[in-house]
Amino acid sequence: MSTMDFFTAMEVSASGLSAERTRMNVAASNLANAQTTQAAGGGPYKRRDVMLQSVDVPGTQSTPFAQAVKGVAVSQIAQDAAPPRLEYDPGHPQANAQGYVAYPNINPVEEMVDMITASRAYEAGITSMTTAVSMAERALGIGR
Amino acid sequence: MQSVKPGDARVTACAKSARRLSARPARDLLDPPAVAVDLSTVDTLQAALTYHPRASHTVLAGNIANLDTPGYRSVDLERRTADDPSALAVTHEGHIAASAPADFVTSFDDGGRLPGSDGNAVSLERELSKIDANRARYSTAAELTTRRLAILRYAAGDGT
Repeated sequence: MSTMDFFTAMEVSASGLSAERTRMNVAASNLANAQTTQAAGGGPYKRRDVMLQSVDVPGTQSTPFAQAVKGVAVSQIAQDAAPPRLEYDPGHPQANAQGYVAYPNINPVEEMVDMITASRAYEAGITSMTTAVSMAERALGIGR
Repeated sequence: MQSVKPGDARVTACAKSARRLSARPARDLLDPPAVAVDLSTVDTLQAALTYHPRASHTVLAGNIANLDTPGYRSVDLERRTADDPSALAVTHEGHIAASAPADFVTSFDDGGRLPGSDGNAVSLERELSKIDANRARYSTAAELTTRRLAILRYAAGDGT
């Protein structure tokens, strides 16, 4: 008997949910720090970006289609290398010698779009997981 | 078997059906229809129920999970019945034909849409509709199995 049961499907969905939640957290962090001029390590906050990669699911290796089933994992949370946005504000305590303040390289519109796509993908993952649960429950009802 | 008194409703029903039967040609009575209970149907349904939709759902769940993974191409399972040369031959009328060999399941890129700038080619709508269709197939097999088993239960009991 194959070990590929509904729990595997739920595990796959869960990996997607967790990845989308990470994206959501990172987008929220970027939005919250859109005006942070002094971050840990000096300089303005740098935009974070979630890198996703597909991964094998444990327990499917013995099946003939192990290569077809992929979960997802966050491979790293990278910092955006784009230069900071400079604004002229000589009175600002963080202003440099030329009177410019370095603000984070964050575009709120971009973050909102990221957040919406993460939210939609999360909903899709929930749908997929609910379907697995309802199929398993359907199977339990057969003998009744 | 419990004893049946004359005048019982069941006896009346039997008498009526006997009258109906007597109206039919005698050949029907001597040669009754084959028994409708065929256990292999349950086996087939069980195979339809357990393996394919379950694996299929797992693969589709993987597509949904990888909705935002750069370079990911969506995958689907294809159901194939291969001619199996190792299948047992039926050389005697007493032999029972072996059931069809296990379905071969292969994966392939289904080209749901052209890859976006990140190389991801998963179409959310397509995957969700596949998940729903798969669930419907599963429900159908489950319902058929339930009814099949109900028939068996009816046959195994004394018709109640």
